Amino acid sequence: MNAKKHPYGILSVLLIILVMIAFISLGIGAVYTSPVEVFTNLIGKSQSNHFILFNYRIPRMLLAVIVGASLAVSGAILQGILKNPLASPDVIGVTKGSGLFAVAVLIIFPGASMVALPFSAFLGAAVIAIALMLFSYTQSTKTHSLALIGVALGAICQAGIQYFMIKFPDNVNTTLLWLTGSLWGRGWNEMWFLIPCLILIPLIIIFISKLDILNLGDEMAVGLGERIKYVRYTLLSISVILTGASVAVVGSIGFIGLISPHIGRRLVGSRSKFLLPVSALIGALFLLLADTVGRGVVPPIEIPSGIVTAIIGAPYFLYLLRREQKNK
Amino acid sequence: MNKNIKKQRARRYIIGFISVFLLIAGIFIHVSVGSSSIGITDVIKALFQPDNSKQTTVIQTLRLPRAVLAALIGASLAVAGALMQAITRNSLASPQVFGVNAGASLAIVVATILFPELHSKTTVYFAFLGSALGGITVYLFAAGGKVTHIKLALAGMAVHLFLSSLTQGVIVLNEDATDVLYWLVGSINGKNWSHVLILLPWSVFGLLAAFIMGRSISILVLGENMATGLGEKVQWIRLVSGVIVIILAGSSVAVAGPIGFIGLMVPHIARKLVGGDYQRILPFSALLGGILLIYADILSRFIAYPFESPVGIVTALIGAPFFLYLARKGRNIKQ
Repeated sequence: MNAKKHPYGILSVLLIILVMIAFISLGIGAVYTSPVEVFTNLIGKSQSNHFILFNYRIPRMLLAVIVGASLAVSGAILQGILKNPLASPDVIGVTKGSGLFAVAVLIIFPGASMVALPFSAFLGAAVIAIALMLFSYTQSTKTHSLALIGVALGAICQAGIQYFMIKFPDNVNTTLLWLTGSLWGRGWNEMWFLIPCLILIPLIIIFISKLDILNLGDEMAVGLGERIKYVRYTLLSISVILTGASVAVVGSIGFIGLISPHIGRRLVGSRSKFLLPVSALIGALFLLLADTVGRGVVPPIEIPSGIVTAIIGAPYFLYLLRREQKNK
Repeated sequence: MNKNIKKQRARRYIIGFISVFLLIAGIFIHVSVGSSSIGITDVIKALFQPDNSKQTTVIQTLRLPRAVLAALIGASLAVAGALMQAITRNSLASPQVFGVNAGASLAIVVATILFPELHSKTTVYFAFLGSALGGITVYLFAAGGKVTHIKLALAGMAVHLFLSSLTQGVIVLNEDATDVLYWLVGSINGKNWSHVLILLPWSVFGLLAAFIMGRSISILVLGENMATGLGEKVQWIRLVSGVIVIILAGSSVAVAGPIGFIGLMVPHIARKLVGGDYQRILPFSALLGGILLIYADILSRFIAYPFESPVGIVTALIGAPFFLYLARKGRNIKQ
């Protein structure tokens, strides 16, 4: 494909689209603001919607961008190290793990939710990831079984989530909204939890551009010996941190981690050097769009972003499956 | 050689005998356990010499239908799973992994919200529609037979995620729909004879049809070429099996919600006990599925006693480790 020769061009085009969508997104919601008005507000020439913009929409837009990018990078890493194009944090159970822990906290300590929720979500992701590693570490370096173990662990967590929801039906609506994934009511306070993402994403992109670790064949990996195992586990940990932080902020939004890397691969090929940043941008774009659409379709009712990503993501995913089939 | 066959046959009879015994014992225990425990002698009395006592009423109207439902649903899901594993030749295939349960759930949730007055007899048809949708999607992916277990599981998982997030969305947007939640986990609590009547014709029809198909399916499992050579219409067998799966799984979900893992586990256990012939696997799966769900339902009352947990949670807790075991075993065979 011709486009693959111009990864930098694609990167900048994506960046421009992202900025444009961000402007439009800032204007959309229960109170409509035109992009021009948004701009004059931003540079301080006008004060008309200053409060809404700076307290609600800007933080929310930034959160969508960072979370989308984190989920996409996390998915790209997982697909690389698991050598499985269908892997992603939601499929292998990491998202379910944080869901379980967060639901437990939401329901058992309804008062402490705002502070404790992100930590518990993060803890859940970590517990599942550690369980994944423990189960697979005793085996060989083969990473295939990891995916299946993840699916099973996810099912156990799902049972736990359902148990909590049934046993304590009072808080069920908050919980459900959170489980579907939504940016509703998120603001500057949640930004703290995304600091690890802000540090890790640039780091991983720089690191990966030196060594194309995600594309190493198994023979090459064996040649490098034990060290490759640790590199893989480090990458897995990073992916878990990114997922945990994202889920902590927006709940379990699906399909971003699954699909963004695929679109990225079509655009710039599978060299990690370009794949990771492009995936990150696509993920950011995806979640921002989903949030904007969910907010703008039937205001003032908000459709949770998780539903929008599922509606956009699933058909694309099915298309991918069919294409995979044909390639065989 | 002859002696060996005799020995195997004797073994199968013993297994069959034990299973039937377990099933009957399970039904008795199931009926006697509950928020007010009823002694076995009273249970027998209420069943065979009904009078007007309170215990008889409780057993006749509440507990017995629930036990019967557990057995029927367990049998239906297990046979559906066995058929799916046979036609896809994939040991991880089951109504849950294939999105059949999730599809049926979505269809039912949407139906109950759009048409609140809908009678539960009609929701069965929505369940069929939904389960067909979910199942066909994943089946198209797996039909080639070249799909590895892992890919299939991941594909099914993704379809499952999609369908269940749509279901969640529908519930979030309709705040009065939270009642559906309990149903969504898979539960047979609080069901009565009318539910049994809804399910009974479908599952009896489905189970019988499956048993009749047993021979053809055994041949199909040998391989497509072999089956065609022996005069079987491969595509036809697949189609009929698919319809049976949808009938069995769809009607079960319509009545009890998506109870997971029964269809995954039971066929493997049956295969281990009675060998690879589907003429035997299918009836045994039905029997074992009934047993499993009855005992799981008994367990579900003790998880958070005196509160009743949905039986779907119990089957998930038993089933997920089993899934892990299968995943590992599958890998060992490949190596």
